[in-house]
Amino acid sequence: MRTILAASIALLLAADTAPTVTGTWNMGLQGGHVVPVALVLKQDGNTVSGTVAMPTQHVGERKEIELKGEFAAGVLKISGVVEGAADPTTIEIEGTLQEDGSMEGTLAMIGKETRRVPWTAERLKERKP
Amino acid sequence: MTPLSRRTALRGLGASIALPLLDAMLPARAVAAAPRRPRLICVEIVHGAAGSSAIGAKKNLWAPAAVGRDFDLAPTSLRSLAPFRDYVTVVSNCDVESADPYTATEIGGDHFRSSAVFLTQSHPRQTEGADVQAGTSLDQLYAARFCQDTPLPSIQLCIEPVDQLGGCGYGYSCVYTDAISWASPTRPLPMIRNPRVVFDELFGVYGSGATPEERRARRLDDRSILDWVLRSASRLQATLGPSDRVRLGDYLQQVREVERRIQRVEAMNGSGEPRELPDAPIGVPDSFPEHVRLMCDLQLLAFRSDITRVVSFKLGRDNSNRVYPESGFTGPFHNTSHHSGREDRILEFARINAYHVSQVAYLLEQLRSTPDGDGTLLDNTMLLYGSPMGDSNQHNHKRVPFFVAGHACGVLSGGLHLKAPNGTPLANVMLALLHGLGLDDLPSFGDSSRAFDLTTPV
Repeated sequence: MRTILAASIALLLAADTAPTVTGTWNMGLQGGHVVPVALVLKQDGNTVSGTVAMPTQHVGERKEIELKGEFAAGVLKISGVVEGAADPTTIEIEGTLQEDGSMEGTLAMIGKETRRVPWTAERLKERKP
Repeated sequence: MTPLSRRTALRGLGASIALPLLDAMLPARAVAAAPRRPRLICVEIVHGAAGSSAIGAKKNLWAPAAVGRDFDLAPTSLRSLAPFRDYVTVVSNCDVESADPYTATEIGGDHFRSSAVFLTQSHPRQTEGADVQAGTSLDQLYAARFCQDTPLPSIQLCIEPVDQLGGCGYGYSCVYTDAISWASPTRPLPMIRNPRVVFDELFGVYGSGATPEERRARRLDDRSILDWVLRSASRLQATLGPSDRVRLGDYLQQVREVERRIQRVEAMNGSGEPRELPDAPIGVPDSFPEHVRLMCDLQLLAFRSDITRVVSFKLGRDNSNRVYPESGFTGPFHNTSHHSGREDRILEFARINAYHVSQVAYLLEQLRSTPDGDGTLLDNTMLLYGSPMGDSNQHNHKRVPFFVAGHACGVLSGGLHLKAPNGTPLANVMLALLHGLGLDDLPSFGDSSRAFDLTTPV
C-alpha cells in the first residue's frame, strides 16, 4: 500500500514538474538580423495551440497566425495557415526546449517557395499586473 | 560696494545675456559655495553598441578588459576618452530590463519604447494615444529638486528629427521614441533640434523686452546679439576689475562665435543649394559633427552663464540610417547595428560607436578648459552617456553601454572601471548617481533593487 502511495505521489510530482511550453515567448527569427516575434503557446497534455505574430512588410505591423501541434519528448512541432496571403502559405515551427528553459529551432514558411529561418526564444517573465 | 547679483544680465531689445561667474559676484559665490550642486548632462545614443554582442564583449569593444583603475581604453569604443580617463567611470554589464517586452503585443517594439526607458528606467505603457506613461526621468528629478533657481531648470536637445505625431509602430506613440526627459510619468518634454532656437532660448527668452515680436525683429536684423546689448555691456565693463573685464570679454566673444556659426549655417542652408537634410529647419547644420559641436558649445554657454544646470542630449533616433562618413565608415547606422553576429560587421559597428563617443570627448574638452570656481566645469559636472539597448542585432537590453564622466563636485573619483554582477539593473547605477547628486532620500528609481556602489570595483 505504502509503495503504491509513494509511486502515485512521485507520478503526480513528475507531472507537476514536467516541462511545458505554455507561455509567451519572445522568439527571435535569425534572418539578416534577429526579428523578434511573439509566440504564444498553451499546452494541454501533449497538445499545443497558440499564435505567432509575424511581421508584415509595413514596419511595426504584425499578422497573427493560429497554430496547432504538439509538444512531446522535449520537441515542439506546430503549424498554421496564413489567412489572406496572396499564395497559400503555411508556417511550420519546430523547436527543442533547452536545459536553460529557452527554445531553439527552425521556422519554415511554405508557399510557392519554402524559406527556413532558425530561431531562438525566451519565455517572458511573469510580472505583477 | 554692493556685489553684483549672480542674475545680472546684459539687456537690450529682445535680448538678454546672462553673465559668467565674476569676481564682482563674490558674496554670491560664497553663498553658492555652501551646497555646491553639479551640472548634469545626460547623453543618450540609440542602437546599443558592438561591445554588447557576444563577440564584441570578448573583444572588449565597449568595456575594458581590466576592472578597477588599471584599465586600457585602447581596444574599446571609448578610446577617445583616454585624455580624460581620470574623469571617466565606466560601469559595464548592466541591463535595462524595463525596456524588455512585458506582454505578447510588446514583443518587437524595442525600437519604439527604448528611448523612453533610458533616463526613467521605467516600462512605458503601450499606447498610441495621449495617455502615455513611463516614469519621471533622472534629469528631471534633479532639476525639480535643486535647479529651480536658474532661468531654465533644464534644457532638452537633440540631433535627429523628433517631431512625428501619433503612433510610430507596434502600438507605441512617437513620443516614446522622441523624448528622453520626462517631467512626470505622464509628461514627456519636447526636445530642441535647432541650434537657433536653443540660442534664442538662452539669450532672448527671459527678462524684460524679449517678446516674440522683438526676437523676430532681432533675427531679421543682420547684427549680432551683442550689438543689441552693447550699451548695457559698456556700462557693466566700466564697473568691473581687470580680470573680470577679461573674463567677460572672453565670454561675450564665445557667445558671438557660436552666434556667427549659427548665422553661417542659416546663410548656407538658405542659399537654395540642395541640402543633405532637405526637411531640416534652416538652422540645423547638415553635417552631424558641426551640429553636435554647436549643441555642445551652447551647453557650455548655458553652464557658464548659469542659465541652466541640467541638459539632456539625444544624439540619435531609433531606426535612423544616418551615415557618419567622418567615422571612416559609410554604412548606415541602423542597418550596421544589425550585424548578424558577424565579426567583420560588429567591428564596423564599433567604428560608429567610437565616433559617437568622440563627439562627447569634444564636450569634455570644452568643459575641462573652462574655469569654474576653484576648478573647471568638468570638475563640477556629471555627464552620463549610454544607450537603453545592448546588442541591437538581438534587440536586447543586456550589457548596455554606459559611462559617466566628470567629478561632479567630488561625487565621482573617475579613472575607474566597475563591472556589475550579471543581471544588475542600470537603474541601480542611476539610483546611486541620484544619491550622489543630493537626492539621497530617494529609496528607489525605476526598477532598481538597491544603489550600486560607485567606488569599489566588483
